[in-house]
Amino acid sequence: MSDNEDLELQALQRQLDDAFETTRPRGGFEDELWSRMQARRPLSRRVAEFFGGLVGTMREVPAVPAAAVAVVLISAIGIGLIALSGIHLGGGGGTTAGSAPLRSEAGSSRSNATSFGRLPSPSLQQPPTAATAPQPTKGATDQSAQSVLYLGPATLVWAGPQPSVLITSAPVYRFREPTEADAGQFATALGASNSNHRAGTLGEFSGPGFVLGVVGSSRQPLSEPRFYITPDQSRLPPPGPTPTDTAAAFLSVHSLVPAWSYVVVTDQLADTTRVVYLRQFEVPTYGSAYVVNTYGVRYGLEVDVRRGQPLQAFGPLPLPLDVANYPVISSDQAINLAFVSKPSAPASIQPEPTVQLTTFELVYALVNAGDHSFYEPAYLLSGTFTSNGTTYVKRVLVPAVDPSQRSS
Amino acid sequence: MAGVGSNNHETAYDSAVFADRPPFEDLYRDFLGRIYAYVRAQVSTAADAEDITAQVFMNAYQAYGRFEARNTTPAAWLFRIARNATLDHFRAHGRRERLRRTIEHQPQGVEDPAGMAEERIQYRALLAHVAGLPERQRDAITLRHSGLSFEEVGTLMACSEDAAKMLYHRALKALRASVQAEDVS
Repeated sequence: MSDNEDLELQALQRQLDDAFETTRPRGGFEDELWSRMQARRPLSRRVAEFFGGLVGTMREVPAVPAAAVAVVLISAIGIGLIALSGIHLGGGGGTTAGSAPLRSEAGSSRSNATSFGRLPSPSLQQPPTAATAPQPTKGATDQSAQSVLYLGPATLVWAGPQPSVLITSAPVYRFREPTEADAGQFATALGASNSNHRAGTLGEFSGPGFVLGVVGSSRQPLSEPRFYITPDQSRLPPPGPTPTDTAAAFLSVHSLVPAWSYVVVTDQLADTTRVVYLRQFEVPTYGSAYVVNTYGVRYGLEVDVRRGQPLQAFGPLPLPLDVANYPVISSDQAINLAFVSKPSAPASIQPEPTVQLTTFELVYALVNAGDHSFYEPAYLLSGTFTSNGTTYVKRVLVPAVDPSQRSS
Repeated sequence: MAGVGSNNHETAYDSAVFADRPPFEDLYRDFLGRIYAYVRAQVSTAADAEDITAQVFMNAYQAYGRFEARNTTPAAWLFRIARNATLDHFRAHGRRERLRRTIEHQPQGVEDPAGMAEERIQYRALLAHVAGLPERQRDAITLRHSGLSFEEVGTLMACSEDAAKMLYHRALKALRASVQAEDVS
C-alpha cells in the first residue's frame, strides 16, 4: 500500500472517530431514559432505597442529635413520597424563577455582581472512547492536530517559554438556565412561531424558510444552552462566493451574528465546510481568551455550508450574562498546580509518560451548577508526546480563580 | 431480596448492588452515548436510534444481575445486547430502511432538524456510507469505532482477533471506495 493510501485511510479513521464521538442523543434523553428505567422498578423498592440512603447518610454524622434526626426523617418522608410519586410542587421560592426577557449578550445586558460566592471548578473530561481526540478546528490552534488526547497521569515538565499572562483578576460570567418561555421569546425575536414541543428541547419553532430549535444545557458532553437553525433547502438564495460569506449572510439574515467577540475559522470535511465563530471573552490588561470545551478545544457558533448553501447553524444560545471580577492565580502558580493536579482520566499508557508542556494559554471554560452555569477563566497547558508510535497530546486545565474563591 | 432465577427488575438491580461489580448507573453514564452512536450509525432516524438504545438499556438493566464480569467486559456485554437489538430492528423493518438510507444518504433537510443539530451534520453522509457496507464490514467498523478492542470485536463477531483486524481493514478500504465513488459522481 502506498504512503498516500495509508494517509487516506488514517484520515478516514479520524473522521470515523470524530463521527462516533460527536454522535450523541439529544439533550435530555439520558435523564428521560433513566427515569423510565427507574419508574419500572417497584415503588416499595424505591422507597426502601431512598430511606436506606438517608439512614446511611445519618450514620456518617454520629453527632446529630436524635431529635434532629427525627425532624429530618419526618421531613424526608414527605419529600420522599412527593418525589417518588412524581408530583411537582409549584415553582415558587426559586431565586431565579420568572421570565426575564432573553436578551443578547451585548454589554448592556450584563449586570455587574460583586461576587457569585465560591465557584465550582472547571475541568477536562476524557472523550467517551480512547480514540482520537476531538480535533481542533483548523486555525483554532496549531497544536495537537492528528493526535490522541491523553488526560491520564503523567510526569509533567514545563518546557515552554515564560508565560506572558500577567493578570491578577479576571471576569467570571454567569447565566441562568433558560426556560421554555425564554426560548419562545428568542424564537419570536427571530420571526418564528411555536410549532411544536419536541421532547428534549425547550421548543422547536418554524419561521419563514427555516426551523429553529432551542435545547438546554447538557451534562455529557458538557455544553451550554444552544440553538440550531435549519433553512428550508427549497427556499435558499443563490450560492455565496465563499463558505465564510455564505455563513455570514445566513447569520445576518436571521440576526444571529454573535454579539460576543469571535474569530472565524473554517474546517473542511468531505464536501461540507464548517465555518466556526470561535468564542472569546475579553480580559482587561490581557486581551481575548478563547472559550474551550470539555476536551480543551476552542469552539463557538458553527455554520455548515455545502455547495455554497447553508445547511445548518448551531451554537450557544444568546443569554444575558452577569459578570463579577475574581482574583486569579499567577502563571507560575498555575504551572506548579498543573504538576500536582489530579489527572482527569485513569492511566491508559504504561509506563507513565513524561510530558513536556510547552503551551500556556488563558481560556474560559464552562461549569454547570444546576440551574445556572459559569464561564470561568482557566489556564490550559499542553504538550505532546509519543508512545508506541502514537502521538498524544496532554492537556491540563488549571482553574485560574484563586483557590480561596473556589468551592471545589 | 428476591430469589435467584427471578427475572424481575428488582432482582437484577439488587444482585448488581450486592455483587462485586460497578453500579449499573455507572455503566449507563459511561456507555449511553457510545451505544447510541453505534445504533445511530446503522439506522436512518434519530427516533429509531433512541428507541433501540432505550431497549438496549432496558434489557441490560434487567439482565445485569446475570452479568459475569470475569467472562466479558461491560463494553462487550452491552454491545452484544446493542448488536442484537439492532439486528432485531432490521428484521422487524426489513431491509427497506437500510436500502433507503444507502440511496438517500443526504441530510434530511427540515425533516429532523434537532437530530441534525445533535449529530453533527457533516458526519451523516459518512455514517450513511458505513450503513451501506455489507453487514459484517459494517459491524467491524461500527464496533471498532465505538471503542471496542479488536479482541472484543472478534468475540462479538465470532472470529479471532486477527480476523477482526483483517475484516476491519477491508471494511475501511471498502468505505473509502464508497466515499470516493460519490465524490467522483
